[in-house]
Amino acid sequence: MKRALPVLVLSIAGLVPVWRYAPSPEAVTAPAASSEASVAPAAPSGGSTVAAGPVVGTEKGPVQVEVTFEERRITAVRMLQQPDHPQTTAAVPRLIEETLDAQSADVDTVSGATITSDGYRESLQAAIDAQAAQGAGA
Amino acid sequence: MGFPVSLRLDDPVGPGGVPEAAVDGVFAWLREVDARFSPFRPDSEVSRLDRGEVPRPSAQLREVLDLCEEYRAATGGAFDVRLPGRGLDPCAVVKGWSVQRAAESLRAAGARGFCLNAGGDVVAAGGPWRVGVRHPEHADRLCTVLEVADGAVATSARYERGDHIVDGRTGRPATGLLAVTVVAPTLTEADAVATAAFAMGTEGVAWAAAREGCEVFAVDAGRRVLRTPGLPVAGAAPGPGPAAGKEHTAAPV
Repeated sequence: MKRALPVLVLSIAGLVPVWRYAPSPEAVTAPAASSEASVAPAAPSGGSTVAAGPVVGTEKGPVQVEVTFEERRITAVRMLQQPDHPQTTAAVPRLIEETLDAQSADVDTVSGATITSDGYRESLQAAIDAQAAQGAGA
Repeated sequence: MGFPVSLRLDDPVGPGGVPEAAVDGVFAWLREVDARFSPFRPDSEVSRLDRGEVPRPSAQLREVLDLCEEYRAATGGAFDVRLPGRGLDPCAVVKGWSVQRAAESLRAAGARGFCLNAGGDVVAAGGPWRVGVRHPEHADRLCTVLEVADGAVATSARYERGDHIVDGRTGRPATGLLAVTVVAPTLTEADAVATAAFAMGTEGVAWAAAREGCEVFAVDAGRRVLRTPGLPVAGAAPGPGPAAGKEHTAAPV
């Protein structure tokens, strides 16, 4: 839960467009479902409360989220239902941030946008192919 | 389109193994694809269709154009093979699609263990294969190593051809990312998603990560790496976040 806060902020930022996402005219539920009336609190576990929001109808399909509270703070948000649509599924993926590393390693092949033969000659793949050809010829 | 192709085959070739014709067929097919679908050849089917000289595309070109349209719609127009003022250029889809087909023909001919690399796009079968990802700034270095048993890896990057991928929404070269690598079940998907994500810029990382079956490794213009937790990094168990590295939920488009 140490990293809950940044996760939380980004989760909420990520979910706002989902809630606001083009609801069809007959969509009834209030978009700010996070901590409001329509939330039904459920099974507390270790001081936290999990609450499922209402199912919100949008033109792309139903959307429902589950929010975990610790006291009054939201510590996790999970999609229970979401339309299979890029604009909503994009709210879900988790990404890990790392620093860029330059390494050499034993590999079978190299992925890279090697388009021209000049680039190919200087690339690792060329070295690998040369070694393989040598091995095969020996 | 002109890209180097290398095939590493673990199975024996010849009688009792993979027929030599099947191996030759891979290269013949890719040459045929270049002749038919390259926008850089004035006599290709793509060029003739674009000039209105053929009434309707062949079934295979139709398939490619349908895929192009699918990705255009999925990216809100960032991925577009019909940019204003330019000719029809379906290269980004043709490459992945054709190499995937080549891999399937090898498999149909009995090949079980192979690694097909076409211009840096890889289809692996019967691995584990160790697939290095070229460092975006150093041609002779890697920035990560993936382990892929059966699947495809494609990378879109600025390093070699400069700013050649255009964001169809703005008509300008995409500059938000230095490189993006996508691992997917097929190269058709991996290559198109890598190119589309690159065209979208930084928001393309989350977009690609949300595609079913896709794992992503991206380097943004600030040299920051963003990757999905399920990326098959060699020597590390895939799964929820490593000790180092902070996680966050990606913001949507």
